[in-house]
Amino acid sequence: MAELTPLADTAEPAPGPGTAVRRIAYAGSWGLRAGAVLVRRALLLAAMLAVVFLAVELLPGDAASATSERGDSAADIAARRELLGLDRPLWERFADWMTALPTGDLGTSARGEKVADLLRDPFPNTLMLAGTAFALTAVASIALGCLAAARPGRLTDRVIGHVATSAFAVPDFVVATGLILTLSLWTGWLPAVTVSGPDGDPANWKMLIMPVLALTIPQTGWNTRIVRGALADQAATPHVEAARLDGLSTPRVLLRHALPGALPVIATGLATSTGMLLGGAVVVETLFNYPGIGSVLAGAVASRDTPLIAGAVALAGAAITLVLLAADLIRAKTVGAQR
Amino acid sequence: MYLNRRQILVGSGAIGAGILLAGCSSESGGSPAPRSSGGTPKKGGTLRVGALGRAGAITRDPHGTQTNESDYLVLGLVYDTLTVPGATPNTLPRLAASWEPSPDLRTWRFKLAPGAVFHDGSPVTADDVVWSLRRLRNTKSGASRLPGVEAANINADGPDTVVLVSDYPNAELPLLTRLTTFVLKKDTPDNALENAPGTGPFKLDWYRNGNARLVRNDQWYGGEVHLDAIEVTMFETAQAMANAIMAGQIDLASNAGSIAARTAESRKDLHIIRRSDDMAMPIVMRTKDGPFADPRVREALRLVVDRDAMVKQVLSGYGTVANDIMGTGDPQYARDLPQRTRDLARAKQLLAEAGFDLGKSYDLVTTEDIAGLAESATLFASQAREADIRINVVKQESGAFWDDTWLKGSLYTTYWGTNDSAIFFASKTLVSEAGQNEAGFADPAFDAAYRDAIGAPDQAARAAALAELQKIEYERSGYLLWGMADGIDIATAKVNGLPTLAGYGRVQLQGAWLS
Repeated sequence: MAELTPLADTAEPAPGPGTAVRRIAYAGSWGLRAGAVLVRRALLLAAMLAVVFLAVELLPGDAASATSERGDSAADIAARRELLGLDRPLWERFADWMTALPTGDLGTSARGEKVADLLRDPFPNTLMLAGTAFALTAVASIALGCLAAARPGRLTDRVIGHVATSAFAVPDFVVATGLILTLSLWTGWLPAVTVSGPDGDPANWKMLIMPVLALTIPQTGWNTRIVRGALADQAATPHVEAARLDGLSTPRVLLRHALPGALPVIATGLATSTGMLLGGAVVVETLFNYPGIGSVLAGAVASRDTPLIAGAVALAGAAITLVLLAADLIRAKTVGAQR
Repeated sequence: MYLNRRQILVGSGAIGAGILLAGCSSESGGSPAPRSSGGTPKKGGTLRVGALGRAGAITRDPHGTQTNESDYLVLGLVYDTLTVPGATPNTLPRLAASWEPSPDLRTWRFKLAPGAVFHDGSPVTADDVVWSLRRLRNTKSGASRLPGVEAANINADGPDTVVLVSDYPNAELPLLTRLTTFVLKKDTPDNALENAPGTGPFKLDWYRNGNARLVRNDQWYGGEVHLDAIEVTMFETAQAMANAIMAGQIDLASNAGSIAARTAESRKDLHIIRRSDDMAMPIVMRTKDGPFADPRVREALRLVVDRDAMVKQVLSGYGTVANDIMGTGDPQYARDLPQRTRDLARAKQLLAEAGFDLGKSYDLVTTEDIAGLAESATLFASQAREADIRINVVKQESGAFWDDTWLKGSLYTTYWGTNDSAIFFASKTLVSEAGQNEAGFADPAFDAAYRDAIGAPDQAARAAALAELQKIEYERSGYLLWGMADGIDIATAKVNGLPTLAGYGRVQLQGAWLS
């Protein structure tokens, strides 16, 4: 689900010149600014959903053949195609699905179930998983980044730098498999997979630990590098330089003078991570049997179940959009304040 | 069982993942851990079962398309079918206590089990059964689930007898009622299916997103049930299910596949249950026309394949060598026919006699629908090279394969998950008018043997016809059946009385108990 990430703007060193939209909005009111950004994000999301529809169309086979039974004749499959509306042009199906979307109707899956029903339990579960991983990532990467920046070039800095780079370089599923082996199969400390109870949630909180770690470790690696880099840029600015020459303590310089200026970049980096977290959830949830939309999505792609895929992507995309919006606002606020 | 292909896909232990087994010479494949079902069964306890399934494919309809093993497991324990799979004979009574054909084998009278009641206490009547069978017959795939029996020809005769009239003589009708004829109460509305009472050994406590808890039905007419409860957890992947049993989160991993079995072999606390004759993965050679129409060419290919190597490498040893006859688990399987073995010299000679063009390359079309399928094609192609036959393996996407290649191609792989009846395959894929005649096979002698086997009035004549039918299949059909994959379940040491039958026999957990 790497296509979730293009939503994110590239991290730009702040305070830099903003885009045209940004300048107008800065001159104008906050509401206008937020509205403009929201519209832009919504358009991006719609474009991405169109890409999803198109991508499923381009895969070999379709929902009619993927859900057919052995022995179904070509006529049976054709009838099924008609039933599922697959005989209509792609743009028409997409338009129908999109116009129903604002009413909260996510359409009907290839097996005739309401997509909203299929995602009702999984979506909050995924939000809980990705949200926890996001919070942990934010705390850990800022802490590690500051720790490294406190003594630039020293051993701590170098170790954190290398570990962060390798943590990000290792794919999610490798991290997950390593965690299962070490924390569950060899030691028996944690449950290896998630088992759900009658309420549709994981049976106990311990089942969340490994999936959260599997998502957090790579993203913390990525964000630690960003935090470290942003603090280094800030350290070279005159006001931080001045603070240090005034003899203020290192933590104080870092937290009171360097960090505020680095926040826009850090916020953008973290926002980018939400896409990665939700994308990684597909792999991680499947490996841990976690009952989230990632697991649903993995199965839906195999069944060419376009409405179900689009529904899952729309929900994930909406969540990412909100986070990116928050990052936009933080960036605008801090950049504005500094001017 | 009209296993649809997705069903087997999920059942094969690796969803869409073609896992390469070739080259892993495992020491195993040998001895299954003997299940000492010794001792008296103890009552009580909860069995935690893992089964494969997908969130998007969940169905709660007993007559729906069950592609999720987890759903089929739940349905199979909450609802009863008229008959169930057995070892010998291969059809055993369940909700139907007995059955009786008319002399012409067209009218079958099923007598219901005395004392059968639904979970809400109401007795099961013939009307309930008739309503359920008609509902099944009227589904999209009803024609293949109750072949030859029109909905109008399913009727009650008194409170405890159901009469089915077939369009043609059919000695195998009771076998065809084994896996899908779940009985519900008459007039159960479609929107009340989720909690509709069944008659099975377990009652539904709760169900959510593929996971469920079932509790013992103390009223069950079919004998004593030992377990207090069964908890079903759905797994999207065999890998996650294997991890769950290794970590002790489940007691039974149903249909876990050979990869998981190899991992579990080293564990003393886990038992590997091998259910033989579970899955056939034959190579289909078109008999009607094309390069394999000459029976000598087909014979040559059957002599080219190295069956032992196929079982060892493709199935990791979890399987048995087969002899080109479909239905290896049939109690009347023709064991007297000599086992074909590799004979490259004879194969080359046959090819020369038939004038087979060795200068051309022949496409063998396969899919990755089930674990090992594509690998079997690749390994066969390399074995054929040793007889100078150039076979080029083409992997097709599943949907395209079933649309374009199946029933039409000249050389392709197929797979079947019900293997305890030679007649089943004769009627479904081999007799000339069969709807799923995979090789375009049309052989008058075979057709005559088939008609005798299902329609001859006396048992001895039927047995002789069945032997003749298998002999013809062995000699000249379009199937190259090199081996049979075992079904593999993994269980913890405390689980006893687990099913050992192939295919969907694995869901019969009513006899299981915990020590």
